[in-house]
Amino acid sequence: MLTFALRRLGGTVIVLLTVSVFVFGFVRLLPGDPARLVAGPDATSEDVAAVRAEMGLEGSLLQQYVRYLGQTLRGDLGRSARTRQPVISEIGNRFMPTLWLTLAAMGWATLAGLVIGVISGVRRGRWQDQTAMVIAVSGVSFPSFWLGLLLIDLFSVRLGWLPTGGYEGWRSLILPSLTLGATVAAVLARFTRSAYVEVAGEDYVRTARAKGVPERGVIWRHTLRNALIPVITLIGLEFGFLLGGAIVVETVFAWPGLGRLLVDSVSLRDYPVIQAEILLFSTEFVLINLIVDMLYAVVNPEIRLR
Amino acid sequence: MSQLFPRLILAAAFTVAGAGSAIAAKDLVIGVESNMPHLDPANTNDTLSQSVERTMYQGLFGFDKEMKLIPALAEKVDVDETATEFVFHLRHGVTFHDGTPFDADAVKVNLERVMNPDNHLSRRSLVSMVAHVDVLDPSTVKVVLSQPFGAFVNNMAHPGTFMISPKALAQYGKDIATHPVGTGPFKFVSFAPDTVKTTKNESYWKPGLPNVDTVTFKAVPESGSRFAMLQTGEAQFIAPLPAELVKPAQAIPSLDVVISPSIVARYLALNTMKKPFDDLRVREALNYAVDKTAFTKIVFNGYATTMDAPIPPNLGFYSRQGAWPYDPAKAKALLSEAGYPDGFSVELWGATSTLAKRAMEFLQQQFAAVGVKVTVVPLEAGVLTAKLWNVQKPEDATMQMDYTGWSSSTGDADWGLRPLLYSKSFPPNLFNIAYYHSATADAAIEAGLASADQSKRAAAYAQAQAIIWKDAPWVFLSVDQLIAGQSKKLSGVYYMPDGGLLAEEATLN
Repeated sequence: MLTFALRRLGGTVIVLLTVSVFVFGFVRLLPGDPARLVAGPDATSEDVAAVRAEMGLEGSLLQQYVRYLGQTLRGDLGRSARTRQPVISEIGNRFMPTLWLTLAAMGWATLAGLVIGVISGVRRGRWQDQTAMVIAVSGVSFPSFWLGLLLIDLFSVRLGWLPTGGYEGWRSLILPSLTLGATVAAVLARFTRSAYVEVAGEDYVRTARAKGVPERGVIWRHTLRNALIPVITLIGLEFGFLLGGAIVVETVFAWPGLGRLLVDSVSLRDYPVIQAEILLFSTEFVLINLIVDMLYAVVNPEIRLR
Repeated sequence: MSQLFPRLILAAAFTVAGAGSAIAAKDLVIGVESNMPHLDPANTNDTLSQSVERTMYQGLFGFDKEMKLIPALAEKVDVDETATEFVFHLRHGVTFHDGTPFDADAVKVNLERVMNPDNHLSRRSLVSMVAHVDVLDPSTVKVVLSQPFGAFVNNMAHPGTFMISPKALAQYGKDIATHPVGTGPFKFVSFAPDTVKTTKNESYWKPGLPNVDTVTFKAVPESGSRFAMLQTGEAQFIAPLPAELVKPAQAIPSLDVVISPSIVARYLALNTMKKPFDDLRVREALNYAVDKTAFTKIVFNGYATTMDAPIPPNLGFYSRQGAWPYDPAKAKALLSEAGYPDGFSVELWGATSTLAKRAMEFLQQQFAAVGVKVTVVPLEAGVLTAKLWNVQKPEDATMQMDYTGWSSSTGDADWGLRPLLYSKSFPPNLFNIAYYHSATADAAIEAGLASADQSKRAAAYAQAQAIIWKDAPWVFLSVDQLIAGQSKKLSGVYYMPDGGLLAEEATLN
């Protein structure tokens, strides 16, 4: 287990280095002059030159990359071209809100998705299955933008129970996480159902039932545990995506997350922030993959032996 | 279980009751559209951040709610006839929020800070023509320019030259951007890119102001959510309010919709160096081909006025020119005369926003009726600015038609004309993307800057506008109207024509 983890960590470093080269080059391939965009429409060309010097865009691409790599390894992620604040604080201020939103959304979505998926799987073909799948398709089809505004209109404007948005206290987490989790829950429900149905047809499940294992044990210990593997992969992927920010939900609820930061930074070609965020997302994904692989081993002893 | 249930209900009820936050009577919350990246006025490029800075900072001069120039930290200014020497007589008894007195030394420190190229401040061009700043006595400052610049006093009203406490500048250095210390009606409390909080300045120099205890700016990008804030009372003023929400807002008895003029002009820039736009008749034809009234109705839901001069009415030295009436027959005749009886094909560039696309599609239809076949090409902001402003030589410009707009942040005709229509303003220097060059217009624009005498400047700009209107380097379209929503309990917050907000006189009943 330990060698497994260490080998994976080594691979992680290589992945991150490759990502840093790609992002660095790719971001500079985008058309548009970052200094001009940041300086704004009222700026004369001398103003723009001043901004360009401030952004450190001199030197060849290789020189810039070496400077960037050196600074990053020393923990200096530079300053945002747009706000002049350190990138670390720009990202840091938005990391916790994004994490809370992700945890809350994934929390209820995983629970709801798994439960609905299992019920559908167990009662496949019957009315519980049909109803659950209709709800699931709706969840995937509702645009989160529309669902969010609907929830605001109902719970904030008409009922006055919850705030319309912003990041102040646990109450402001409810509507955004409901909106964000809706699609995830729906996808998880359908996926869990198919994974469950596939496993339920296996011989060992029939054997367990024939052996006399109570139905509850058949469902949870034998079927679900094996069906969980692909489901865990999906949960990990969704978690990773959400950690990258949820631009639509963040916009509708004025939630200070990493998604909007990335979009705003790309619009303004704010290189330091774009590079840092993408590096962060890659790191998160790699770590999540690592955790997911370890979870496989926990759920399925066969994997441990490999 | 039976005991728990009623207790849970009770707890839920208390939580829900507490959810409606009790806002103290005199706290103003303003809902705005975008984040405020930072609060250093000398480095700020967006009107919103400037509005926030205006609650805490002031300059030697300022603007009232109609963009008229008014004295602020300076009581008056003496200008010589060459428009190169400006003597500002400062107001007495003003202190910064940290207790430092406001005096001529503070003015010198601030102006030199923006002038200094090593500070890389993006608003440096406002003071790049300053040769030196002299302190004559604690309340008199003389600014000497290296060349005549009649609009210099307007530059002193621009947020880029707001006065920051010298003590705070020394203390915070670059971090002054997140710790504003000025002379304004409100003092800084806290900063986050989406929430800026300020509180009443008890020793503000204007008696009787401010009337509210706190002002908080909250960034809510989605207009539906912003409107919800106004409905729940979480905000008392929101700007902008999109045109589609005007009717629903007017239907709510506790809300008011405020519509005011702006200095944002929308027009179609034509590349006058390329065929067929080098022919005056073609440019005239295009102006006749567009029904401007229909344009304002369809694109802006009626919340815009037709342009009747190259600059909007609320800009200093505006001179009404008339109209280009809707006359498609005349347009076709002019096109035939110019050698295009069957019209021609052209690319129309513009931004990717919904409004821009709507405008471009409308223009496409109007031009099709006179035989001009338009291909609409919406371009992302970064790409658009690169293709328009980064072109090094006029021959290399690929723009044919560009749907665009402009707002002169100095409130003066100079910045509404010179960057766009002066022959020395071709990209990459400034923004004359129409590559318009007229010796007579150039002379008039230069005359406008050469003196600070109001009547001389007015005459020069009247002449410039007349020449430009006749030459039609643009298809002149519309001037935006600004729409804001506010609670009926609020008064004294103004949406200025440049899109900025004035909250100094805010009053909550």
